[in-house]
Amino acid sequence: MKILIFACKWCGLIGADGAGKKRIQLPTQFRVIPVECAALVEPDAVIRAFASGMTGVAVLGCHLGGCRFNHANHAAIKRLELLKTLLDATGIGGKRLLISFGTAHEDHQYAEVVKTFFDELEAMPSTAAWIS
Amino acid sequence: MSGIAVFLCRCFGEVKRVIDLDSLQKEAERHNDVVSSAVCESLCLADDIEKTASRIGESGADKVVIGGCSHLARGGAAVDALVERGIKRSAIGLVDLREACAWIHKDDPERATEKAWDLISMEIAGLHHRRESDDVTVSVCPEAMIVGAGPAGLSAARTLAQMGFKVHLVERGSNPGGMLNLISHVYPSDEKASEKMKTFVDEVDKNSLINFYPKAKINSITGFAGNFNVQVSSSGGEQRLRAGAVILASGARVWLPHGLYRYGKLTNVITQMELERQFIKGPREIKTAVFIQCVGARNHERPYCATMCCPSSLKNAVRIKEENPDARVFILHRDIMTPGSVLEAYYRNALAKGVQFIRFEETNPPEMLGDEHVESVEVFDSISRMKRTLECDLVVLSTPLIPNDDNVKLAHMLGLQVDRYGFFSEIYPLHPLETRMDGVFICGSARWPVSSDNAIVQGEGAAAKAAALLGSKAFSALSLSRVPGEKFGHAAVNAEKCTGCGNCVAVCPFAACRLQKMGRKSIGRVNKLRCKACGNCVSVCPNGTVQLPEQDYRAVAAMIKQAFGGDSAL
Amino acid sequence: MLEKIKNIARTILSEKQADGVLGLIKGQWDIIQPHIFESPVEVDALVIEPKWLLAKMAMTVLRSSREGYRLAVVVRGCDERALTELVKRNQIEKERLVTLGIACTAEQAQACICDRPYPQKLDCGEAVAGVDTLSVESVKELLAGDGPERMEKWANILKRCIKCYGCRNSCPICVCVPCKLEDQVWVETGVIPAEVLSYHLIRALHLSDTCVACGACQEACPVNIPLMALQMSMREMLRETYGYEAGLDPDRKSPILYDLCKEPAAGQALPDWVNSLRKDDES
Repeated sequence: MKILIFACKWCGLIGADGAGKKRIQLPTQFRVIPVECAALVEPDAVIRAFASGMTGVAVLGCHLGGCRFNHANHAAIKRLELLKTLLDATGIGGKRLLISFGTAHEDHQYAEVVKTFFDELEAMPSTAAWIS
Repeated sequence: MSGIAVFLCRCFGEVKRVIDLDSLQKEAERHNDVVSSAVCESLCLADDIEKTASRIGESGADKVVIGGCSHLARGGAAVDALVERGIKRSAIGLVDLREACAWIHKDDPERATEKAWDLISMEIAGLHHRRESDDVTVSVCPEAMIVGAGPAGLSAARTLAQMGFKVHLVERGSNPGGMLNLISHVYPSDEKASEKMKTFVDEVDKNSLINFYPKAKINSITGFAGNFNVQVSSSGGEQRLRAGAVILASGARVWLPHGLYRYGKLTNVITQMELERQFIKGPREIKTAVFIQCVGARNHERPYCATMCCPSSLKNAVRIKEENPDARVFILHRDIMTPGSVLEAYYRNALAKGVQFIRFEETNPPEMLGDEHVESVEVFDSISRMKRTLECDLVVLSTPLIPNDDNVKLAHMLGLQVDRYGFFSEIYPLHPLETRMDGVFICGSARWPVSSDNAIVQGEGAAAKAAALLGSKAFSALSLSRVPGEKFGHAAVNAEKCTGCGNCVAVCPFAACRLQKMGRKSIGRVNKLRCKACGNCVSVCPNGTVQLPEQDYRAVAAMIKQAFGGDSAL
Repeated sequence: MLEKIKNIARTILSEKQADGVLGLIKGQWDIIQPHIFESPVEVDALVIEPKWLLAKMAMTVLRSSREGYRLAVVVRGCDERALTELVKRNQIEKERLVTLGIACTAEQAQACICDRPYPQKLDCGEAVAGVDTLSVESVKELLAGDGPERMEKWANILKRCIKCYGCRNSCPICVCVPCKLEDQVWVETGVIPAEVLSYHLIRALHLSDTCVACGACQEACPVNIPLMALQMSMREMLRETYGYEAGLDPDRKSPILYDLCKEPAAGQALPDWVNSLRKDDES
């Protein structure tokens, strides 16, 4: 299980910080890359992550309308939804890309998002077909 | 010599308790790029910071990775000390080993240590590709443009002119005064609107620093804080103005209740504004009047309270009572909104004068009876649960203020945001007069419906904010940010690689990107002062021409590669 | 049909509506190749078969020709859409371009699995109805099956890739120099078989909202990778969610670039709470 999380500094990362302060125990197999805004997450980087063998990628951003960069995250969600379609078409599964905006700002919410994502990915078939 | 120094903070044992820092340090020492490494007790302690800094000096490292606490702490005093010693901010990588690793993986120290090393090696890999954005310093044009000459705009103009700044006051109508021209008296002072306005208008006439542009239309606004270029066509013809700051005081307009309460069909059903106009003409004796509140407000379409309609009705109800103490005046309301001691006293005064208040429910509004004009109003009193029929010869509808239609156009020109109704949004509730675009300020009903008194105060506030900018001679792009903490950076285009597709121009939420003709080719350009580093342009650029040096794509890719022990699965 | 298009081409040249007409010529030894007709007499040798995408060629010609040179291009539906996309991306100046639209036959539409086998500006021929792309058997089969089954299918298909860059080079919309696919950071260079996942997904995604469904990439592929099936699913998503199709409206840019207030989604693929942004959805 390898999960990569892009966390927006103003939402997901604050949740991650809170989860730490609350000592909420989480599975270890995820890595967080902090970004200034979810809009900075290039879909190509997400593809790169899958190509590097990630089981799942999560992009955590602020809720729509709550982005400090005006409407920056609107365009981000559109791009990533399009990528999901492509992942579905190739059978990798759009579910492996978690786009969660405005849901991980609080410690327990963040922990919940991460745990649920783990469980979901656990239930999915392995990506061995690509890797072999 | 160059290389990376790695410092691991034990955080008084908080990190150390879970993560084996000594083995991490050994691992770091084996890393090719690392020239120095150490475990410190706490990088919050001045003593440790001092030791760390001198170690970096000895090793000759030019980049530093700090494994410590939360990203939200931004490295704290340790980073400040390193920056002071000449290490670039972009050359310092922070790894959160405490909140993001030790504290959430207490039960699994072995894997937590593994993860900690992955996080550190990700940071080391990423650090190679991070650079600092080129900064520019620009001078400030000490002039301001104010859009709208209503109470807010006039008071902003007066305040700035008194401080000695040149002001371009741009007005859509032909006279200054805005909505004060349309009403007879203002609440809560009950001054005559024309007199209240006079002091301001005199100032505009007298003060040579204020240039007034009547019948003006803004065609375009380009530029950035300190240097806005505005194309205005007014009665004086097409003009180009330069301004260091822009204050939006364009006000709002009154919503007309077409289709409600048979407005427009019955001759004596009028709006509050029409009543004001009648009062401007002179006193009018009215025998019975019914005011209806929240007409077209606090409903599904416009869920907000426009705040000025209740006090206006109270003001006019009392006025009718004063002209004719025998008059019967009813205010049909859903709730009377009079917050604060002044307005509450206003309400009590109306009660004392004999104005009657009847509460109705949104689902059961009053009904107009009569054919050509209203003869009576039927209302279900929601408190006594009784139907009442009020004979009357005048019905006044209180309608809310709604945003001007061209707000959206202005917002697009300036890279601002409007709220869901169309009023200009402030940057945060704690900075009510500032917008997301530096150098652009908002006041008065352009940002939210307010009374004339509040508009005047807000105008002064916006003027003070603008003066702080106009007073500075020059500033740098990176110092400009209304976001707390330092500005992250700004995007830059590699002109050689750019195909000129225009994706960045379309996607930029701050109107910071534009296309520039270079021979037969178009090339994208990012305005460093408008750019807020959201990264949208980076993500839509088809060939990675636009980059944020602080978070280069190579850095992200390198971090991904290192995320799980560096063994790429393919 | 051929005579009609020749007459239009002659008129364009004699009336100086354009300085040249880009089309196909049947030359020596009956070889068919693209040609710029610059005099009405030359037009006798003009042919319109087979399908040959000229959009990128038109771009190159216009770029290297003198200022003010106007070019007319004989286009099919896909070619016209590609030209529109190139105009939208500032690669061609609209004023210097004239199109002569010809319609494809029903058989051609079937062969290309084309959902719009006619240009917007149709000068010659009868427009036939397009094919419902996603219900064609061969496409259905590629997109059928649940996760693992489909994944294995596509993994096997894409592993055939020999990384000849044919799909990219033949694409009428791919204009970036340098291209991300040549960047070591995104796709490891110098390895065969290619890093299939990143190469093909990045390529497909970059064209998601500009793909005009001409099928050139698929035709160019020496190992028969059905690349269009990927584009079709994304085109369908854009059509359903935003009512957008690349290459139709020269004034409408991709909805992906705008916020949800300006280019709202039909809510198909976006989460429900996006609806909270709409003005009329206030609770």
